[in-house]
Amino acid sequence: MNDSYTNFLREISLTNDWLLLMPEIILALIAFAILGIDLFLKSKKRVWREKYLMPVAICGYIFVLGILFLDKSTFYIENISHFGGLIEQTDSNQFMRSFFVFASLFVTLISGQFLSKKSLPKAEYLHLILLSCAGFMLLVQCSHFISLFVCLELVTVAFYVLVAFQRTNVLSLEAGLKYLTLGGLSTAILLFGIVLLYGISGNPEMNGFINDGFQFQALQSFIGLNSDNLIVQLGALFVLAGISFKIGLVPFQIWVPDVYQGAPTPTMSFLAVASKAAGVFVLIQLLQGPFLALDAFLIPILSVLSVLTILFGNISATGQVNIKRLIGLSGISHAGYLLLGVIASYTIPQALDVVLFYLSLYLLSSFLVFASLAYMDNEDDSLLETKNYQGLYKKNPLLGVASLIGIASLAGVPPLGGFIAKVLLFIVAYQAGLYGLLAVAIIGVVISIYYYFAWIRSIFFIPNEDNTDCLKEVITLTAPQKIILIILIGSVSLAGLYPSLLNFFI
Amino acid sequence: MDILTNLLSLLFLPLGTSILIIALGKHRKKYAPIVAFMSAIGALSLSYILLKNLPESVHYSWEWLAFGDSKFYIGILLDNIGATMLAMVSIVALCIVTFSIGYMSDDAAKGRFFAGVAFFMFSMTGIILADNLIMIFLFWELVGFSSYLLIGHYFQKEEAKSASQKAFIVNRIGDFGFLIGIILTYWQFGTTNIELLSIQSGIDPSLMSTFIGFLLICGFIGKSAQFPLHVWLPDAMAGPTPVSALIHAATMVAAGIYLLIRIDFILTSQVLLFIAYSGTFVALFAGFCAFAQDDIKRILAYSTLSQLGYMAAIFGMGYSGIALFHLITHAFFKALLFLGAGAVIHACHHEQSIFKMGGLFKKMPITSITFIIGTLALCGVYGFSGFYSKDSILIAANDYNSTLFYFLVFGAFMTAGYMGRLIWIVFFGKANSEAASSAHEVSAVMTVPLILLSGFAIFVGLNAYWPFGLGASIVSDLDHLHHLSGYKEIHKWVLILGSAAWIVGLGVSLIFYGKGSSEDRLQLKFPKVFAFLKGRLWVDELYQYYVNHIQKPVAEFLSFVDEVILRGIIVRGGAGLVGVLGVGFRLLQVGKINNYVLWFFVGLLLFWLYGIDLF
Repeated sequence: MNDSYTNFLREISLTNDWLLLMPEIILALIAFAILGIDLFLKSKKRVWREKYLMPVAICGYIFVLGILFLDKSTFYIENISHFGGLIEQTDSNQFMRSFFVFASLFVTLISGQFLSKKSLPKAEYLHLILLSCAGFMLLVQCSHFISLFVCLELVTVAFYVLVAFQRTNVLSLEAGLKYLTLGGLSTAILLFGIVLLYGISGNPEMNGFINDGFQFQALQSFIGLNSDNLIVQLGALFVLAGISFKIGLVPFQIWVPDVYQGAPTPTMSFLAVASKAAGVFVLIQLLQGPFLALDAFLIPILSVLSVLTILFGNISATGQVNIKRLIGLSGISHAGYLLLGVIASYTIPQALDVVLFYLSLYLLSSFLVFASLAYMDNEDDSLLETKNYQGLYKKNPLLGVASLIGIASLAGVPPLGGFIAKVLLFIVAYQAGLYGLLAVAIIGVVISIYYYFAWIRSIFFIPNEDNTDCLKEVITLTAPQKIILIILIGSVSLAGLYPSLLNFFI
Repeated sequence: MDILTNLLSLLFLPLGTSILIIALGKHRKKYAPIVAFMSAIGALSLSYILLKNLPESVHYSWEWLAFGDSKFYIGILLDNIGATMLAMVSIVALCIVTFSIGYMSDDAAKGRFFAGVAFFMFSMTGIILADNLIMIFLFWELVGFSSYLLIGHYFQKEEAKSASQKAFIVNRIGDFGFLIGIILTYWQFGTTNIELLSIQSGIDPSLMSTFIGFLLICGFIGKSAQFPLHVWLPDAMAGPTPVSALIHAATMVAAGIYLLIRIDFILTSQVLLFIAYSGTFVALFAGFCAFAQDDIKRILAYSTLSQLGYMAAIFGMGYSGIALFHLITHAFFKALLFLGAGAVIHACHHEQSIFKMGGLFKKMPITSITFIIGTLALCGVYGFSGFYSKDSILIAANDYNSTLFYFLVFGAFMTAGYMGRLIWIVFFGKANSEAASSAHEVSAVMTVPLILLSGFAIFVGLNAYWPFGLGASIVSDLDHLHHLSGYKEIHKWVLILGSAAWIVGLGVSLIFYGKGSSEDRLQLKFPKVFAFLKGRLWVDELYQYYVNHIQKPVAEFLSFVDEVILRGIIVRGGAGLVGVLGVGFRLLQVGKINNYVLWFFVGLLLFWLYGIDLF
């Protein structure tokens, strides 16, 4: 007994290739370094902490990005199970790794002003972002439910804190509480689903039962033989529900507006981009992996999910005037469009690339909107309404243009990158024969023009005298802020004018 | 520098210049002219290096968007025809930018002007280098846009504002046809790449379609101001004169002809026939109209129309090389004439009516001599550049169809006639206004480009001496003419008629109008004829009538439909429905966490039921 156990352990550790996870490990080390600096320099060097923590984190991200791009082969061995089947690397999850570093980098960049202004502790915030970045990067490489669950919880627990970070603000606390309760619930459902699958697949009475009911490949072969089994279906559905919560698919979207509104703006952007992207990617991996044989059962459910999500997101966003709730609701509709690509990936292999392309453009355009929101430097973003954008262009043309480009790209206006992404997504949906869903998606896009353009209009609209103006009279940007905005504007436009350029990065 | 870098820097240098000028902010006024001038010099040297190293033709292609099996490409194609255009555009642009430094010296919005000119150069270079119809169309729209901006440069004036709008709208009509043509071409051939189109139409001529051809030449009709879309060009003279010289005489209007030459292989014989006849018509019609104008720039604008008619006519007769030849010679002498007119206008304190000028020869000798050189080139006087191209046009026309030939010869008489009228009245006799009597020679920054361009106006007709083997298609077309049966007889006959045309035209106009007259004698002696010519076949009035009596009621009806049915019922109704649903959905967002949890479980349950086909 003991022997076989040590043999098993030895066998597993043979495939422990720690070097592959170096980027994640580096990020985690930097996270602890930042915490350490904060701890040991407690009393005397406040200024030092205020000034240098941020650059350390930013340099860390840039370093990790650099090694991921330049030394790709060191951290990437294709299609072999590492760590005894816990980790599996593919081209697409390597892309997602860089994606999350980008996202975290942007969040860090836009969080500085907010943290200083509200005099919130910087070190904790940066620490949590770094850790959840590492969590996200691991999450997309998981090929085992245990590692998946651990990574997911690493990220989610970090988010519980990040959402409620502004402890003095009632809305932020309320959002934190709601996110904690509902997140806990969704985790419970997810875990329940995983356990059901583990239990049924390990049952010796089942056809083709397996030892390791958490491992994706093993599960795939088991479910392939037992796709009609009630418990298998129930387990898969529960797992799906748990993931849907992260993406914000109807009917698991109910937390989105409240939490987005209350969360600090940088956290909201991290939640909107990284959390959603991770959810979508994990969903594709599950559907193409363990749940492949359940297509007949899952496709109708996913289609209904997609229809409901697109319609709900868009319809409830029309007439919504609170900016952060609007971002949350329109984000729900984007998740719905993405689901189109997820469903298409059953039949069309390129659909995965298209989804990744869409996610990248969603990241760039969203951050353009979020960065301009953060740089406006408002007293309280949570109460900001579309009409408060009035006169933004007059007050600061660069911010006005940045918001315009970001919103227009989210709306899918040519020739911006968001347009190309939507067109590609709709083309794969067409090729996959999802005509009904396509029609719904197009209706959704038409509805979305309504609220996106109302928003755009107010940017260029000159406010009335009597209008209570939430924006500051004069908005000035620092040089790095200008550079960030210009880079984002440039990349969103360039992605529309010359989309093949992205091939160099993928 | 390798050729690709050279091409790309040539394309993006003007764009960068334009952005740089805008980014200069409040220093714009001071630095814009020098930045634009340096960029024009840079562009000319880049073209020089490029043309020196250019093999017969280069083609680069990049994947724009790959999607599964369908791939879309963008690319650069530079062959001999494009290289010839490029050389012409770079030289003319440099002369005109230099001239503008003087002409626009007291303008308040110099920055906008030079940024616009640089942006125009970017778009024009784009048209020349594009390797497919879609890219041509994009740059085509960009030149239209920059032309719109520059015509409306003096937007404080009502005239300039409406002229820029007119140019924009009329061009959209042509471009709409062009766009449909491009879409149908893609449908028919499966590509819009010019080289592939040429190969495919060569392999399978049955793919060519007269209908598509007519749609494609809509773009040409709009941009080159051919009948019936010619109405915008005379009005476009409301822009600054250097713009008229660059865009509305030398380059942009010629882009229509360039487009024809690029796609000549997919135009069927019916389309060519139509182009030949409509070109001849415009050549004559515009010549007539020029007699009834008293604005120096408008006379030149009608002359441009008429010369574009010549180019179209010869293209329709199947000699695209000679069309290119006339395009190039015309670009130089017409740019010269416009800049000369600009110098005159500048000296006369923005007086544009020729009857208020007079006697300028003694006051502005350099401008006058260069202007007269331009006129002689335009009239096709032996030895000047216009002679060579017009001579070959007439020879070819004689071979093609004798009716068209006589019309075109008559057009040559008219050209000499209206240009003679302009010369005698403006430069000779006595000054007819205070502004004209106080006029004096313009500064060197304006005369040097005039002198340079007059050199080109004299010598550019000697195409055998062009460097870098430019204009190869011209040589081959001329060779073809030289080997026609009875070439010697025809040539003699054309020479006699052509010389008679300018001698008679200039002479009769001298006798009829007299030197430096202050009023239009045609108007005095034959008011009816003058009124008829002034009416310009009432095309503008026809459009006005159409807009007022046909389009307006239709628009009002559509607006009613839009107001009541579309906006009232469908959109408002739809928005209302969406709004109500939105309110309903928001009610779900009660904010109570126990409700949220319940909602969560109900959702899960429903999905379960749906998944196992319970409903």
